Amino acid sequence: MSSEPKNTPWSGPGARKEGLEHRFKAGERVRVRMSSTGANPRTPTYLLGKTGMIAELHGATYAPHDHRGVYPYLYTVAFDVSEISGKASKDKILVDLTEEWLEPV
Amino acid sequence: MLNMIEQVSSDTQMKDFEAHVTALEADLEYWRAKRCEPHVLHFVRRNFLPLHALFATAARMGTDGAGKPIFIRSDGKTGEEEHNHEHDHKHEELEERIRSLEDRLDDYVRAIALSATDPGKVDFVIDDSRKESGAYDPFFKLTKRAHGGSLEERIAQLDRELKQNMQVLETFTRCLMENGLLTEETIAKRRAQQENNGAKNGARVVARAWVDPDFKERLIANGREAMRELDIPPGLLAKLGVAENTDSVHNVVVCTLCSCYPRALAGDPPWWYRHDSYKQQIVQDPRGLLGKMFGLKVPEEVTIQVHDSTADLRWIVLPQRPAGTEGWSEEELAELVTIESMVGVSKPVIRRE
Repeated sequence: MSSEPKNTPWSGPGARKEGLEHRFKAGERVRVRMSSTGANPRTPTYLLGKTGMIAELHGATYAPHDHRGVYPYLYTVAFDVSEISGKASKDKILVDLTEEWLEPV
Repeated sequence: MLNMIEQVSSDTQMKDFEAHVTALEADLEYWRAKRCEPHVLHFVRRNFLPLHALFATAARMGTDGAGKPIFIRSDGKTGEEEHNHEHDHKHEELEERIRSLEDRLDDYVRAIALSATDPGKVDFVIDDSRKESGAYDPFFKLTKRAHGGSLEERIAQLDRELKQNMQVLETFTRCLMENGLLTEETIAKRRAQQENNGAKNGARVVARAWVDPDFKERLIANGREAMRELDIPPGLLAKLGVAENTDSVHNVVVCTLCSCYPRALAGDPPWWYRHDSYKQQIVQDPRGLLGKMFGLKVPEEVTIQVHDSTADLRWIVLPQRPAGTEGWSEEELAELVTIESMVGVSKPVIRRE
């Protein structure tokens, strides 16, 4: 990653102001769970079981627009394209994922 | 699908009529079955607007007592003259006809937004409309209309359906107004907001960031608040992610799950942004796809970062200021910024006349 991991708390509508105690730290390696029952369904299937690195911490939001409740903390996780396609590449995919989908490596 | 990608170029020339018509059909059905009609049904079910009120409005619209329409086509035409001169269509270029349909679809989408009900008057919950559209329960899903036949037939069907859908929306909106659920002022206010947004806003933000390093810093740290400095309404934006291109990093945005897009800054997403060929391949082979689909060659030493918008963040690319623009004004610079460059599939270039 050429850009430094960042911690930029959410500040938009519904931002949760209290302490940002994320389970994972910027720069930490994480794996996407194969399933996460009841979790935010917006985790693309091409990422299941893949390993990436925490690039940014976003805090949590309350039900913006189409959500039904408060989702756990949100992270931007950086994956190597090679991890996803299996082919050599120096490029990255950055995806915004909630904590319940991530496990430590 | 591959064939289509190769036919798409980074310029705005339309190369593949079939793909445009297919996208139009899908879009029109989406806006009708997911956004417009569920909203109308929601009002009927909750008795905000009884069905008879809608019929009464429709009946009045058939007479001259109804006044001039609320939604006027942005190309200034009316459905009538088209009907009377149907044979002229044969002489029109296909491209022109499809473009006109695309403009009218935009009109339809904008009109849907204009007729959204003021939450102050009605206890309006977005979730309810989503229920009605079958987002949670397929039972409520409105049946999709079939499209098919020759290109000619499909274009004729789109023309017809656009007309009908606008008629439904016009009736609904008029009925809302007649029943005191929506005012002319609200519509006028929203219309002014609409004219003021879209891709131009994004271009203004990028140009400001190019000329004002402090603003750029604020934009990257907290984009949503920085936008306010330029009087840009955030719309539905929750958090704005700003991905800055540098000499070593090139950013691209996609939403593989649907088509999340920073509408407040970049207007409506281009059709290819919503297309599976873009969504699927950009995460498998970004470098190859950018070259093949958009003719953008990213140098080997530059890392590509693809941002997949899966959550409430909306990503926008902050492109690099092109060389040779020293001393340009903010307004001149904004002219260089295209939607494509804010998604990261092209770079702002100085057009030479």
